Amino acid sequence: MIKLKHVNKYFYQGEPREVHALKSIELEIERGEFSVINGPSGCGKTTLLNAIGVLDEITSGEIWLEEREIAHLSPREKTEIRLTQMGFVFQAYNLVPVLTVAENIGFVMRLQGYPAEEIRQRVHELASILQIEEKLDTLPSLLSGGQQQRVAVARAVASKPKIILADEPTANLDSKNSIKLMEMMKRLNEKEGITILFSSHDAYVVENARRVIMLDDGALV
Amino acid sequence: MFRTIFAIALKNAFLRKSRALLLIVMIGMSMGVMVGLEGLYDGMSLHMIDKSIRSDSGEISLYAPRYRLENDIRYRIEDAGEKVARLQKIPGVRTALYRLQVDGLAQTATKSNPSRAIGIDLESEKAFGKFGDFLKEGRLDFGKNGTFVGSELARKLKLKIGSKVIFTAQDSQLNIQSIALRVRAIIRTTNLSLDERGIYLPRERVAAFLGLDPGSATQIALRSSGENDPLLKKEIQNLFPDLKVYTFIELYPQLKQMQSMMDIFNAITFGIVMVVVFVGILGVMYVSILDRIREFGILLSIGYAYRYIRFQIMMEALFLGFAGYLLGALLGFVLLSYLQIHGMDLRAFSEGLESFGMESTLYATIKASYFVSTFFAILLASLLSVILPLRRLKKLNPVEVIRDAQ
Repeated sequence: MIKLKHVNKYFYQGEPREVHALKSIELEIERGEFSVINGPSGCGKTTLLNAIGVLDEITSGEIWLEEREIAHLSPREKTEIRLTQMGFVFQAYNLVPVLTVAENIGFVMRLQGYPAEEIRQRVHELASILQIEEKLDTLPSLLSGGQQQRVAVARAVASKPKIILADEPTANLDSKNSIKLMEMMKRLNEKEGITILFSSHDAYVVENARRVIMLDDGALV
Repeated sequence: MFRTIFAIALKNAFLRKSRALLLIVMIGMSMGVMVGLEGLYDGMSLHMIDKSIRSDSGEISLYAPRYRLENDIRYRIEDAGEKVARLQKIPGVRTALYRLQVDGLAQTATKSNPSRAIGIDLESEKAFGKFGDFLKEGRLDFGKNGTFVGSELARKLKLKIGSKVIFTAQDSQLNIQSIALRVRAIIRTTNLSLDERGIYLPRERVAAFLGLDPGSATQIALRSSGENDPLLKKEIQNLFPDLKVYTFIELYPQLKQMQSMMDIFNAITFGIVMVVVFVGILGVMYVSILDRIREFGILLSIGYAYRYIRFQIMMEALFLGFAGYLLGALLGFVLLSYLQIHGMDLRAFSEGLESFGMESTLYATIKASYFVSTFFAILLASLLSVILPLRRLKKLNPVEVIRDAQ
């Protein structure tokens, strides 16, 4: 489903403090996988995830999403790819502060032009799975960290993307909420068949992933 | 989709209540004062034009050729009554009258001043320009040997109601004639030439004094519907080819100049206020966008296109601008309504104002155009003010923002 061919990423290229953040990455992720990119802090986990999510430019190489090379698209096409094919869960939740929980969950669907009734149904369905039904009319600022992260997950999966990219989603959560989140992600992976790719150095996340992709100093181990 | 963006923009625009309120009040106050000044400037010039039309020229005046150059009763209009009757039959002419004027000297026992006897028909003047409005003191009744004098002339000659004044002029036979008159009323038109020199008399009396036929006139003036005075002028000129026909603007070019000057003042005030609005919205939008850089980064990363962000920011600026406009329109309307009824009392500066032919109380006028033009200008200022913040956003790399946030 996703194929990375000889992907390199340099920061400060050509400058004295040049960093080779991703070193000739060759990686394939199959449809329906539940994988985690693991490694020490600063090894390039987030950089790799951002590259796959076409959030960041790579210096060289290719990234394929199914039959399409996506690393070298225009910014507009990349935005379109992120909107229609990918879901994102960030460490800092990153919800839209002026929208309610229900509006945040349905936001990506709305951007994709789903009918209002379908959005409403899907929001309620996800809120029920993620146990945030009673919070649907609440603003994100009034939720706990765990609740906010569940809303972020719901937003990411709402429009049934092909892949969910989650960057350290448990980093700001306590262990109880981390376990809950992982269980929910697993359930979504099994129930919805969504490919999920984490970056994490949380032991619990690594233990629960079906595949662990080890990264060290920008290179796959 | 656009409904969602609209909703986000609306919420974001008023998210920081004190900041939004401050901006709205700033726009509202500036616009309110601007509309107030605009109405006052316009009111001032329209008031002067209206007084000049009513007290003297009407919308159109007719003179014998050379009269306006020589100011001599040799160049007079004969059978003016019959001509007025013909004029009144022309569609577009509301009313018409004729006057007989002669320059001379007004004297008291101790003072004298150049003046002009204006022979009028009081009832026609009332219908023509609400002559009663110009009464400052006394009664509008000539009685026997009565006269009305201009307020400035009365001041110079120290005339009061009941004072005696002698008017001396050359008659049609070139003899010097004098007439003794009793002041019955003091007239104030704010038309300087009339207030400084006017000695009003019954028209027949002036005709007899000058040894002329009662149908003689030096001026025929008419009030039109004002819809197309140049066309009406042409029609009248064709009807009376032996007379010279002038529109009000041709007779009072200085008032037109003053109106143009007021328009320039208005345009300058307008420009200053729009710069204030522009800078105000620009500042608030810039700070607001910098505050929310992370939010925009998130939105971009989850597939919210830059064009949606652009639309959202524009809507936010428009909401703020529009809220300011509503407040400004309300303030402006209240201010203008007050100034239209009660006026602005500038009696402290009355001497200076009156020397320019202005009233010491200035009254405003209200025109829909003040509110319409301001609406579009604020709309434009709001849209222009987001160009700079949007350029900043255009350079935004979502991944950097998200990285910074984490």
